Amino acid sequence: MSTTADREQAGSPALFTRKATGLVREGRTRDALFYNVMWSSVALTFAFFWILYPFAYQGSNAILAFLIAAALGLPGAFLYAMLAQLMPRTGGDYVFNSRSLHPVAGFAASVSYCFWLAVVYGVYTTYIAAYGIGAFSRVMAGNTGSSGWLSFGDWFSTEWGLFLTGSAAVLISALMFVLGGTRLFFKVQVAAFGLYMVGAFLLPIVIGVFQDSGGFASNFNDYGANLGTPDAMNAMQSSAADAGYASAGFSLEATVKSVSVFWFIFGFIYSSNYFAGEIRLRKGTHLRSIPGAVLVAVLFLLVLTPAYLHYASYDLNGMLGFADPAAYGFAAGAPAYPEIAAIASGSSILGGLIVIGFTAGLLIWLPQTMLLISRSMFAWSFDRIMPERLSYVDPRRRSPVVAIGVVTVLAIASTAIYAFTDWFSTLSVLLGLSLTLLVTAVAGAALPYRQKAMVAASPYGRTVAGLPLLTVVGGLALLGFGGAIGILLWDPGSGASLSENPGKLGLAAIVYAVAIAVYFVSRAIRRRQGIDFELAYRELPPE
Amino acid sequence: MGLLRRKRGEEEAGGGRAVRLYYASDIHGTETLWSKFLHAARVYEAGVLVMGGDVTGKVVVPVVVEDGGAHVAELFGRAERAGSDEELADLEGRIRANGMYPHRMSAAEVDRVAALSEQAREAWFAEVMLLTFERWLALAEERLADPAVRCFVMPGNDDPPAVDGAIERATRVEGCDGRVVEFGGYRMVSLGYSNRTPFDSPRELDEDELYRRVCALADQAGDMDRCVFNLHVPPHDSTLDTCAALDEHLEVVMAGSEPKLIAAGSTAVREAIERYQPLASLHGHIHESAGATRIGRTLCINPGSDYHTGRIAGCVLQLRGDGVRHQFVTG
Repeated sequence: MSTTADREQAGSPALFTRKATGLVREGRTRDALFYNVMWSSVALTFAFFWILYPFAYQGSNAILAFLIAAALGLPGAFLYAMLAQLMPRTGGDYVFNSRSLHPVAGFAASVSYCFWLAVVYGVYTTYIAAYGIGAFSRVMAGNTGSSGWLSFGDWFSTEWGLFLTGSAAVLISALMFVLGGTRLFFKVQVAAFGLYMVGAFLLPIVIGVFQDSGGFASNFNDYGANLGTPDAMNAMQSSAADAGYASAGFSLEATVKSVSVFWFIFGFIYSSNYFAGEIRLRKGTHLRSIPGAVLVAVLFLLVLTPAYLHYASYDLNGMLGFADPAAYGFAAGAPAYPEIAAIASGSSILGGLIVIGFTAGLLIWLPQTMLLISRSMFAWSFDRIMPERLSYVDPRRRSPVVAIGVVTVLAIASTAIYAFTDWFSTLSVLLGLSLTLLVTAVAGAALPYRQKAMVAASPYGRTVAGLPLLTVVGGLALLGFGGAIGILLWDPGSGASLSENPGKLGLAAIVYAVAIAVYFVSRAIRRRQGIDFELAYRELPPE
Repeated sequence: MGLLRRKRGEEEAGGGRAVRLYYASDIHGTETLWSKFLHAARVYEAGVLVMGGDVTGKVVVPVVVEDGGAHVAELFGRAERAGSDEELADLEGRIRANGMYPHRMSAAEVDRVAALSEQAREAWFAEVMLLTFERWLALAEERLADPAVRCFVMPGNDDPPAVDGAIERATRVEGCDGRVVEFGGYRMVSLGYSNRTPFDSPRELDEDELYRRVCALADQAGDMDRCVFNLHVPPHDSTLDTCAALDEHLEVVMAGSEPKLIAAGSTAVREAIERYQPLASLHGHIHESAGATRIGRTLCINPGSDYHTGRIAGCVLQLRGDGVRHQFVTG
């Protein structure tokens, strides 16, 4: 054994350390940052905005909307980072909330979060078919005139095309964990990240520098001709006018409502908190990687939005939504931003790369989310609320295979719901997901009072204007999350508004009620087995 | 909890008298965690406390006396100054709560220690560490008022040899390393040594020697239906021993964007568990690999360690006859 003196440049040592197990150089901050940026689905959200713009947000200013969403999410990002640093355990907010408020609050909020994540799977899986493989095929057809590509691509937009493709993607994600464990997943994630950056951001931005709306119209006509419709731009404009499209000026109301869309990014950019317990992190890691991810997402959007608007104006996106897609040769449906960027490029190679990059982002979300949900299940099982079997980790693959199996079944069910029904809109899961954030904000604000010693001994033991720092940040997060939830409940486009979809709030409440019931039933069963799992939450006095 | 009124940690039930045992490990010099460990007997109504090793810390923070009498120390990368006795006590308390040892020194003394050879500095480190550890043992005498509570403390691979003597001298805690102890009709086999690590820590053995020592103790213990293994290092490839691989510079080896994970447990411990099949086997050592698994019929536990968060990760075991139930707890 040896010791080392950590020197402060030329001065005296600030501390003396021994070499000992556990004192390791930790994983890099950028890994957590990378994860947060990928999982928050910046590209998909950008596509959502333009798809929903004609129907719900005409007159919205995209840049202002995402800046508002980022501002609402930023205090929460700091709060999650601080809590993850204080309690770096697998399970993330389940751990924070159960330890700060009450076990049943932590469990119910976590179950709710996982339930809604399982539901949102269907958005990703069906988009993979429609806006991934389907769009790729159409880009090939639009650039080459191949009818084979066109009919191949159209199939992916059918109900069965959406379901079968989405289910296959889910199964491949699960197999990745079962056969190669998290190691294989992270290798795949690196490749996906590269494709995603190039295809979903870099190329659309570069194309925006060199291409304008005039050039786009010309490319669009060529593309439409290859799909069988000459003068597609005029056809599209006429169809949109017939459907009642009229250009709209700036609307503050539409802008604020469209914050709903960008909440898809900024309400959920905290995912590294779920694997905080996997590897010890440096002090400050989460502070840099979670609020840092907010900054990165804002920068991406700040560059991507004006570049995209250079060739695809608000009006163009509005008309694409209003027009009958069959009228301009896009029988399977209106194009989303990756296909629009591909058309702007005028190249099947660049266009193909754009769609592949976008699809890579969708594909990698599936195993990422599988990881998040399975880790929450692992944490419930670890605390004995759920059966031990759920936390079984395959010794060879080091993967919670049972939990992954459960997530796979839920994800395929969700794919079926989105493929065959219209029960949920694209954004309607946001309300249920955001309620968990609200619980975490309350837990964070309460933590300095509920866990005085832990907070006092941490770097966050300071006070601001007489209030504990965490309480202040938790209070701000509460305002941010509350504001976002208020917008979701107000905005009919969110699919969860009180005016149009009051049942969604009721469903969110039912999920909580079921989770609370599960908790108390489980507690009774465990007590009969001689296990009191509430011991897990009991505090030991620090003095 | 109403079951536990008869005698702390023991209950009469269908299968006979039950024993409740609380196990924690790897607190690495964090005073708050030691204090919590001692409270566990009362809060979890446990009749037996077991500290499974790595009780001493890794960092000494010089609290440097300035000419004017104020003290300065660096905590979380920030210089902190304590002008009064109260501020000094608060500063030292926060250092201790974070698993480090505050040590009042002059600037000249700091430079002298920095200039020592590694071996000499290690000896100095052990002296500083012992001052705290002996105070901890004295605290146990105050806290463990109920004479029915048994408290076993074992050093782990990171603990220097001086720790053994301090444990042996203590009156309220019992040493158990390298021996078989008995409580409530159960026997416990304990060994604080680990297999070889990249850290070259004080208590490491080759797998052959580790296996020989565990087997010798297990043979001595007898009935495995009522025997608990308390072995600091977890069994190899058991999901209780997964940690980041380190290279020769103690840097984490990355696989893509994530640390490369390996099984760092002991093959000797695994073989011994497979051979003897005790009722339960308790482990620490790998902080980030908390969990429970079974090797054959043996329930193997590693509660992990989050010592730097001020939270003590532990496990409550309910032993009844030849059965065992467990519950992870974080206090």
